[in-house]
Amino acid sequence: MISISRYLQIWLASARYSLVRATMFRGDLAIWATVELFWISVNVVMVAVIYSHTPTVAGWSLYEMLILVGTSMLIQRFLMGFFWSGIFEMGRNVRNGMFDFILAQPGDPLFMASTRKLELDGLLNSVVAAGLVAYSARKLGLHPGAADLALYAFMVACGVVIHYSALVMAMSLSFWVTSSQGVEGSYFTVMEFSRLPREALKGVAGVVFVWIIPAVVVSNAPAREILHGFEPEWALGLCAATVAWFLIAVYVFRRGLMRYTSASS
Amino acid sequence: MTKYGQAFAVGLQSNLVYRWNFGVRSVFWFFHLVVVYILWGAAYAGNPSLGGFSFAQTLTYFVVIFVLQFFIGAFNEDYQISEDIRNGLINQFLLKPINYFAYRLSVFAAARVVSGAFGLLALLVALPFFRGYLDLPHDAWRIALGVPAMALTAIIQFSIAYCFGLLAFWFLEIQGFVVLSMAVENLLGGQIVPLDLLPHGVFNVVRFLPFFYQAYFPAAILTGRRGFDFAVQGLAIQAFWAFFLVCLAEVVWRRGLRHHTAAGG
Repeated sequence: MISISRYLQIWLASARYSLVRATMFRGDLAIWATVELFWISVNVVMVAVIYSHTPTVAGWSLYEMLILVGTSMLIQRFLMGFFWSGIFEMGRNVRNGMFDFILAQPGDPLFMASTRKLELDGLLNSVVAAGLVAYSARKLGLHPGAADLALYAFMVACGVVIHYSALVMAMSLSFWVTSSQGVEGSYFTVMEFSRLPREALKGVAGVVFVWIIPAVVVSNAPAREILHGFEPEWALGLCAATVAWFLIAVYVFRRGLMRYTSASS
Repeated sequence: MTKYGQAFAVGLQSNLVYRWNFGVRSVFWFFHLVVVYILWGAAYAGNPSLGGFSFAQTLTYFVVIFVLQFFIGAFNEDYQISEDIRNGLINQFLLKPINYFAYRLSVFAAARVVSGAFGLLALLVALPFFRGYLDLPHDAWRIALGVPAMALTAIIQFSIAYCFGLLAFWFLEIQGFVVLSMAVENLLGGQIVPLDLLPHGVFNVVRFLPFFYQAYFPAAILTGRRGFDFAVQGLAIQAFWAFFLVCLAEVVWRRGLRHHTAAGG
């Protein structure tokens, strides 16, 4: 059983390697950072166009909606920056037997598989997403205190864990299905709902995407923290969803791992 | 049967192998449509029209856009072409009396027949949910002008993807360029918001860009968002862009071949 400090050392070594790699391929880094920036801009333009024709959407004003979209983007950029490459490659590695390399490493396979690479472009654009949230809060005349900001950061971290869990579950399908290429699309499709205000979802969609799949809670809970201060029901709901989804993801991954037959068979 | 007819037939067979990928894409499409329905439904709440269009007209626009993408959108042709170049498979085409553009266009047409069938299937499944919200005009001229607009859109989409694929002659990794252009194309092609909701001045600039004719233009004709005069003018501009992009593809191909080094026996 290796300690948390040992895991931290391993993660720092991976981070250092990723930084060196990113500085070796500076052009690639610049292109992907621009790609991420463009996609953030596309979402902002969409919101701006809709609000140029209506003052509110589901009771949310323009800048309230930008806080929601910015928060959703922030969570997704962190996921992209910290975990995307590792988990995305997991599917391919399982198919071609390269996952042996992960299993041979001194640590938990899920940790080793998902923290191998950091993507600087995603992390750079998390600054842009955070800037969008800060700018919108300023336009609304909001001045959240240190406790609110700390709680917001904690909720964003919970959101990253839920996104991470959803992605791990999606990619774990590669243990069962030989051709799971494009399965990451299911993650993006479900997480599209995280850019919707809770009040817009009614009926079955409200039950499925708020309570069963917490796509809406992930972004709405932190955004509401900035907008309305601490709301215990949202905070508790988010914490419960985080723990539940992470445990389910670990369970699914381990069940899948038991089916892995390695390259030598 | 001509050699390109054979390429089309082989393309049909090889794309049928990936029928599950198209099936999964159809499911994602349905969820994406649910997001559109919820977001725009919330925007229209209390507003009988936005930009002069009703909720039914806007939802119809998005449904048509999505179905068109299955029939005439370039999905991963750029990737396939770049792989041909990177793996050296392109060499076999250089040694035979085959025009690579025509060959790829034949395979693209075959792929769209298969994906189009799945698009129709997805539409049939979604129809009971959205039937009450669809509002398609019945003018015969819309079909008469819409069909050639769709054909030209397919040529524009394919030519742009072809040019991006050929970038592999110069760059080892082109995926960044592809995703970057996808962001621009999605926004300026009207897949994120109907372009007629943009400010008037911006719309008048965008309508002269090729992206305008990648999705918005045929959808706007078929769904009644634009009138007859605009459609005729647009068709002329679209024909120019289609011709220009086919010529550009030929120029890029010739220049790229000068960079190409065929190795191996």
